[in-house]
Amino acid sequence: MIQFSSVAKRYEGGLEALRGVSVEIAAGEMVAVTGHSGAGKSTLLKLAAGIERASSGTVVVHGQNLGALGETALAILRRRIGFVFQDHKLLFDRNAFDNVALPLRVTGCAGDEIGRRVRAAMDKVGLLARERAMPVALSGGEQQRLCIARAIVNRPSILIADEPTGNLDADYAKAILDLFQSFHRVGVTVLMSTHDEASVARLGCRRVALASGAVAP
Amino acid sequence: MMTWLRLHRHALADALRRLATQPLASLFSIVVLAVAITLPVLAAIALQSVGSVASSLETDPHVNVFLTLDATDEDARRIGDALRSNPEATSVKFVSRTQALAELKATTHLAELLDSLNGNPLPHAFTVRVRTTDAKKLDEARDAWSRLPKVDQVAADFEWSERLGKWIHFGNTLLTTIAVVLGAAVAFIVGHLIRLQVVSQGQEIEVSQLVGATASDVRRPFLYHGLTQGALAGAAAVGLAAGVSLWLGLQLRALTPNYAAEMKVVFLDPAWCLAVVGIAAALGLAGAWWAVGRELRQFAQAAR
Repeated sequence: MIQFSSVAKRYEGGLEALRGVSVEIAAGEMVAVTGHSGAGKSTLLKLAAGIERASSGTVVVHGQNLGALGETALAILRRRIGFVFQDHKLLFDRNAFDNVALPLRVTGCAGDEIGRRVRAAMDKVGLLARERAMPVALSGGEQQRLCIARAIVNRPSILIADEPTGNLDADYAKAILDLFQSFHRVGVTVLMSTHDEASVARLGCRRVALASGAVAP
Repeated sequence: MMTWLRLHRHALADALRRLATQPLASLFSIVVLAVAITLPVLAAIALQSVGSVASSLETDPHVNVFLTLDATDEDARRIGDALRSNPEATSVKFVSRTQALAELKATTHLAELLDSLNGNPLPHAFTVRVRTTDAKKLDEARDAWSRLPKVDQVAADFEWSERLGKWIHFGNTLLTTIAVVLGAAVAFIVGHLIRLQVVSQGQEIEVSQLVGATASDVRRPFLYHGLTQGALAGAAAVGLAAGVSLWLGLQLRALTPNYAAEMKVVFLDPAWCLAVVGIAAALGLAGAWWAVGRELRQFAQAAR
């Protein structure tokens, strides 16, 4: 489903975030990417989601070599991947409903279909009652769940989450991880980064450890 | 097809919503654009008005030949033949003294005065259009014609109108240049205003791209926004220019007495008004395209 072969990523200014990373994630698998801050976790996830491009090596997602895709094809591929951002990336000028509806509006989905899908996604993350709330009125955990609802509203086969439990207390973090496990159970490929080793152990999923931009043994 | 239509409908609705949710900002933008567009439109109106005055002026080179008061119809015929035989004359028009008197009565308020006179004070006259404006050749023709018997006066008084014609031509060139420069200014103002809006929507553009919006998806609502804003500003500019022209027209009428009736403000015809709205909409579209293009390139750059 997702295949990294000798992938390196250098940013402008010379920072080398990833070096010779080769990882394969099978369809329906749940994988946690662990490592310290600056280990390259976020970069790996962004490359898998087609948000950034590798400097060298190949990233293949859904059978497509992302490096060979043009900007438009890459954008269309992103529609099939749900991404939960570390900083949520919510739009504060519109309510919860419209934030979740954004990916559907982008694809030209019909109005009644948008309503159904958005409510289904918000119900799944337990925010159905708050669809008219503005993001600024939501708690950190609610904003996180809103971001998850936006990531799953297109019913993606791949869900990628960057530090989804980063700033949450233990109970909240557990609820979010349970949510991801429920997506995994219905066949969604889940790739997430975390520095919380205890949670990974509890989930019992495969773990890819990164250290200084390379896969640690 | 349905999806494509829906995307465009959404984009248009989005653009209108953007205009409506910030009524004051939208109004100011449209007013700024409208004022900028009004300037070249007014220049065009001035151009057209001056052109209409110019075309009503006699600027062709011609010479008036007045006969003595005692010249008979027979003399007139003989002189007419002589004038026509001159190689410099292209056409010769005879104005009989009775015709001249009738015209003078009809076009001035002197009818009563003229009636009180014994007989007709006006002579027979010829208007001769000449091929040349060369002073030497004209002088030769004038000399030859004034030596003809029963010719009283030969007046070549077109020089002033010719000079005026040249000034009007210069004015036209000047106004055209101003209109072009102002038109270019409008394009930049539109681009800049839309760029400001695009920058303020930078986050939305970024998030849309993250969740799978293509460059055209991002561009679409902004293009509709630019288009609508441009068209509204164009319509407002036509309205503004119409108001200014109407007011100037009234001022001009109060200023010029009725003998200068040809001095009036000539407003643009409907086709031109539509063209102004169309051009303004196109400028809005182009400005939006340019502004969004910059943001899109920045996103693509960041992904490298």
